[in-house]
Amino acid sequence: MPRLSRELIFTACRTLPWGVVGTAGGAGLLLAALTRITGETGERLSLHLLRAAVLAFALGLVFLLDDPARHTTATVPTPRPVRFTLRVALVVPATAAWWTAALLLVPPDLRPPVADITLEAGAAFALAVAGAAVAVRCTEVTRPGPRVAAGLLTSAVLVMVGWPGRWALFVPVQDDRWAAAHDRWAVVLTGAVLVGALGAVEPLRRWSWRGAPGRRAAGRRGLRRAGRSARVQEP
Amino acid sequence: MTPTVSASGLSLHYGGTRALDDVSLRLTGGVTGLLGPNGAGKTTLLRVLATALPADRGAFTVLGHDPGTARGRQEVRRRLGYLPQTPGFHPDFTAFEFVDYVAILKEMTDRAARHREVRRVLDEVGLADVRGKRIRKLSGGMRQRVALGAALVGDPGFLVLDEPTVGLDPEQRMRFRELIAGAGEGRTVLLSTHQTEDVAMLCHRVLVMAGGRVRFEGTPAELTARAAGRVWSSTERDPGAKAGWRTGTGAFRNVGDPPDGAELLEPTLEDGYLLALDGDAVEVAA
Repeated sequence: MPRLSRELIFTACRTLPWGVVGTAGGAGLLLAALTRITGETGERLSLHLLRAAVLAFALGLVFLLDDPARHTTATVPTPRPVRFTLRVALVVPATAAWWTAALLLVPPDLRPPVADITLEAGAAFALAVAGAAVAVRCTEVTRPGPRVAAGLLTSAVLVMVGWPGRWALFVPVQDDRWAAAHDRWAVVLTGAVLVGALGAVEPLRRWSWRGAPGRRAAGRRGLRRAGRSARVQEP
Repeated sequence: MTPTVSASGLSLHYGGTRALDDVSLRLTGGVTGLLGPNGAGKTTLLRVLATALPADRGAFTVLGHDPGTARGRQEVRRRLGYLPQTPGFHPDFTAFEFVDYVAILKEMTDRAARHREVRRVLDEVGLADVRGKRIRKLSGGMRQRVALGAALVGDPGFLVLDEPTVGLDPEQRMRFRELIAGAGEGRTVLLSTHQTEDVAMLCHRVLVMAGGRVRFEGTPAELTARAAGRVWSSTERDPGAKAGWRTGTGAFRNVGDPPDGAELLEPTLEDGYLLALDGDAVEVAA
């Protein structure tokens, strides 16, 4: 597998949607830099802009698993989790660099606690990729990115607007709930990684009440019967 | 002869729609044609056999492996070539780069050997001269050949082709027929098509599907023979015919149960196909 991955790296790198990710990253950096550009000194505004930057970049990452050749490569022996992991691994350095740049664009005195805000960003990015993985698993479309992006954007807006206060995720730095909110962000990150991992796995069975194990066994018995009758028919 | 594919009781539902209904079949070497109208379940069957889609129930083996297990599916995929109905590409790749990409995904890790294989395959599908050309600049027929090259790379034992000649002009179709005939030498090919001529020219066996079920399984000659004595000519369209159309001569060609004294015509594969679709019962030729 390591040799396969080495061979794949360069080609897989070319299949990634760098244009979309780059555009989203550029927009995100612009948002992150707004406080510095405008000379605003509000800590709260700076936090909002940094979160908006994270959302912008996450909206780019949902296109990560878009693959126009999906159906052509649907039955290759390289497992889907390997292919997905490679794609994700290839954007991790770029994502880390982008995030460092975004943080540095925020003036130091306005910068939120780096570890906590990095946790938020990580959870948002993981949600984006998990959404894409689930879309690939559950649909046949080759480019699920736009739909997942719409879903992610809508979810983010709904969480900001209508999420119950006691489970708040987007809280200001001075808020008493900051620490608790970041415990929840850790849960979101863990959940997103798990969902993403599950989404990456190619199912061996379709979920269906008709596909119950007993019926499957009946199918295998039928295959053995078919084999016997086929042998009888042969001259 | 050990069958390449042996399936029993394959069923698959999309919501309330029954796409495959208790399909059982055996495929051996050579080209087997899969005929059927739109929505018959051809693509679904091909995708199940190509391990692109799991069935709801039933069991099957491909090249002696059970795709119902992770290990079995992996083994099947190592010896499988699949050309989907709508193959997609990375348009900025050249033909060589794309087939090479698929070859890597087919676990061909030795670069020199892989490149030799990619060149061999591109030669085989007649794309040697344009292998350095970007896919977005290739014609539809050439793109289809790139997809066939991707399916053929690694010399698979079982080749699944889903309507490979659709949208091609007659010359390209003839070229594709040659390629498929060549591909069928020494391996098992399952070819889904709407073109009865493709089946007549290429296939040693034919399956007819309708409503998710196999309606006929046999040789093209057996399918044609089903229409013997059931095709006749008339000056007006016969209302008792299952199907009828005016031919170039002005006379009507009717398929069904002829009236007494009808002028019988030599049946074609298409006539047999139409009659196979019409039958309610599953008929599997011996």
